[in-house]
Amino acid sequence: MPRASHPHAMQPRNPGSTRTAPPQMSPKFPMQGRYRAYTLFDWTGLIYLLLGFLALRVVWALGTGQEAWNVVMDQFQSPVYIGFHVLSLISVIFVGVRFFSFFPKAQPPRIGPVKPPPQPVILAGLYAAWIGVTLVMTLILTGVLF
Amino acid sequence: MSEPQKKKIVITRFDPDQDEVPKTQEYEIPVQPDWKVLDALNFIKDEVDGSLSHRWSCRMAVCGSCGMMVDGEPKLTCKEALSDYGDTVEIAPLANFPIVRDLVVDLDGFMDKFKSVKPWIIRAKERAVEEGPMRQSPEELEEFKQFSMCINCMLCYSACPVVANEPEFIGPAAIALGHRYNTDSRDEGAAERNEIFRGEGTVFSCSFANECSEVCPKHVDPAAAVNQAKFNAVIDWAQGLILPRGGK
Repeated sequence: MPRASHPHAMQPRNPGSTRTAPPQMSPKFPMQGRYRAYTLFDWTGLIYLLLGFLALRVVWALGTGQEAWNVVMDQFQSPVYIGFHVLSLISVIFVGVRFFSFFPKAQPPRIGPVKPPPQPVILAGLYAAWIGVTLVMTLILTGVLF
Repeated sequence: MSEPQKKKIVITRFDPDQDEVPKTQEYEIPVQPDWKVLDALNFIKDEVDGSLSHRWSCRMAVCGSCGMMVDGEPKLTCKEALSDYGDTVEIAPLANFPIVRDLVVDLDGFMDKFKSVKPWIIRAKERAVEEGPMRQSPEELEEFKQFSMCINCMLCYSACPVVANEPEFIGPAAIALGHRYNTDSRDEGAAERNEIFRGEGTVFSCSFANECSEVCPKHVDPAAAVNQAKFNAVIDWAQGLILPRGGK
């Protein structure tokens, strides 16, 4: 049997006298069919939370001194950290692609007097901006820029 | 003459006078190649078990009455070819709705949510008959036409994971309808509806699963409407902060 929805899902404000059976969720929720991508999209939030803690730790090491910084950099060489960073990269790409696929249709037909460009143009602009920012970041991190 | 093909139809049954919880019942029936899923249900009702309860009306995907879960997906049963499914087909009432009996769900909660978005044209001042009809250009019509194609079949509510978990959420079809009127050039009630949209359990509860648009049999794209309504609600709020008298 499928899982139960919230017991008050789609309940009328003034329920009638007929006894009803409680609502049930789609049997495919949360990990079958199209729901799988949605659930994984939600779970990537956990990865970003861990990434946030990691970033705080790096900033703390940076403020503490060279020795602490070296310890963090050494730890980043371990397979666990490398694996986590690969997983984070996959998550960012997955979320980016999913967000970009939905973003164009979320644009209202006009914002004040201005009409947004056609959806393929918005999509192309998003990917162009993503590639551009990635290139600039790569150039900065590899020391080519600055 | 060859034997007609047989299929096993597994139907969720619930009798409020006898059952504590819904149960399933199996029917093995002869089927015709051109049957829709609804034809199988009507055959069972007419020939096998008259106690089965289900809703249907137009048989041409217009009235939106015959929405049910078919093999776990919300579908209009009059639109779905039975031949597209395997030898066993599971039919259940729409997910996320209280079940009244067998495949019939309670619509009153949906109607409450529907009314809450004021789905009618709001005018600051009524137009006199002598002023003639309100004209609208094809471009103006195009901006909301897609969202006016909803047949209230409630498949989107059945597919939405937020509806399943947040009882206050007014849901995809109601928001799409509110947005339809907000984008109608004849309407002057957008500020009123945006106020509703900024409230609890409305557009910002949507997590953009996009399931509503995937299952919509009329390609209304409620997910687009909900997220456009989010955008407009924010713009409207920001205008209220920046412009004198809220930009009105």
